[in-house]
Amino acid sequence: MSTINLDFAEELKEYSGDTALECFNCGTCAAICPLVHDNFPRRMIRYVQVGAREKILENSDELWRCLHCGLCTHTCPREADPGEIILGLKRFVVANWRRS
Amino acid sequence: MFNPRDIIETLANNVRQTTSPFGIPKFMVNKWHKDVNLPEEGEYMLITGLMYQFTPFIEKSTQYLEKYEGTKMASLLKYAKYMPGYLSGIGLAMMTSGKEKKNAGQALKDIAFLLKKSKVDFGYRPDLDNYSGILLYDMGDQKGFVAHAKKVAKKLKDAGVKKIITVDPHTAYAIKELFPKYTGISFEVKSYFELLDFESKDLGLEVTIHDPCFFGRYLKLSDIPRKVLGNLGITEFKIRNQGEFTSCCGGPAESISPSLSNEIMEKRVEELKEPGKPIIAYCPICLGNLKKSGAKVEDLSTILARHI
Repeated sequence: MSTINLDFAEELKEYSGDTALECFNCGTCAAICPLVHDNFPRRMIRYVQVGAREKILENSDELWRCLHCGLCTHTCPREADPGEIILGLKRFVVANWRRS
Repeated sequence: MFNPRDIIETLANNVRQTTSPFGIPKFMVNKWHKDVNLPEEGEYMLITGLMYQFTPFIEKSTQYLEKYEGTKMASLLKYAKYMPGYLSGIGLAMMTSGKEKKNAGQALKDIAFLLKKSKVDFGYRPDLDNYSGILLYDMGDQKGFVAHAKKVAKKLKDAGVKKIITVDPHTAYAIKELFPKYTGISFEVKSYFELLDFESKDLGLEVTIHDPCFFGRYLKLSDIPRKVLGNLGITEFKIRNQGEFTSCCGGPAESISPSLSNEIMEKRVEELKEPGKPIIAYCPICLGNLKKSGAKVEDLSTILARHI
């Protein structure tokens, strides 16, 4: 069962900007991403929006398929900066590994 | 795909211990300048960030990673972080062919030649030329990147460096955009092609250009190489994904997943090869990765040095 963490957005501020709530889930980023299929990075951004902290940690390997090419950020109609959100999640996961 | 944690911790340990992500001592990596007569001082300091010099080692390590990706052996990578960085680095350096190492330095010799021909006042000091730490930043090891970047930036600042010439997009982005943000130290940064100035020619050649993501999108410099080439009469055959909308070459995935890297590279190469023109790249990572396909790809500095 998935749980949500209402404080996750606050926790994430240490690693990333707070643009995730700008995203309205249009899927442009997932359509244009040359590297990852299966709704990436849209799904990860949705997890951030709803506070699905554990889901991000469970699926964290997927984050490193992103090479920070910036095409998603460049084409995002909401300026939600998906590339930077993914980079922020990488930082969050690395810090989490090192704490554990 | 390898476990990202194993790769990141290995790279981070290597940078901490040796300042190189591959653990190779700098004197074994940075040799190109030895037979080039360069002054130590000038208006600008040339900082290569060692990225061109790393390409043969990246290729060699990728060959091994390709062999073990998806096998039971891949899980052994978690023990790599316990190996002293220099030990694995020297091993990798010894397994890499001398010819490849020499070839990797040629682009830097060409760049130095182009800058001299353009009468740019620049110096080069190998002791100040260090890896920027950009891979740690891209991989999410923010703490490791900031610690390394602070050392690199401080060394440059202490030497009185104010203006820097970079040669690749990753180092350019790190020093220009990330160093001020995370180290508090700023430099005036130019990519080498921004300073080139040659007599016009009418060569009547046509090429296809692959823009690296960091020059095309992050630094928005992709129009400048086109102007430099255009001045020599080398025009561009336009493809769909170029400039700010360039497509990734797959190169940065080499350590995490060589198979993903190849998949992306093949798609991009197909697009670049379609016009049937010579392909020009201007990033050492893109160049190395696109060349693996067997396509005829040259560095921007190579074609310029040949024709000016």
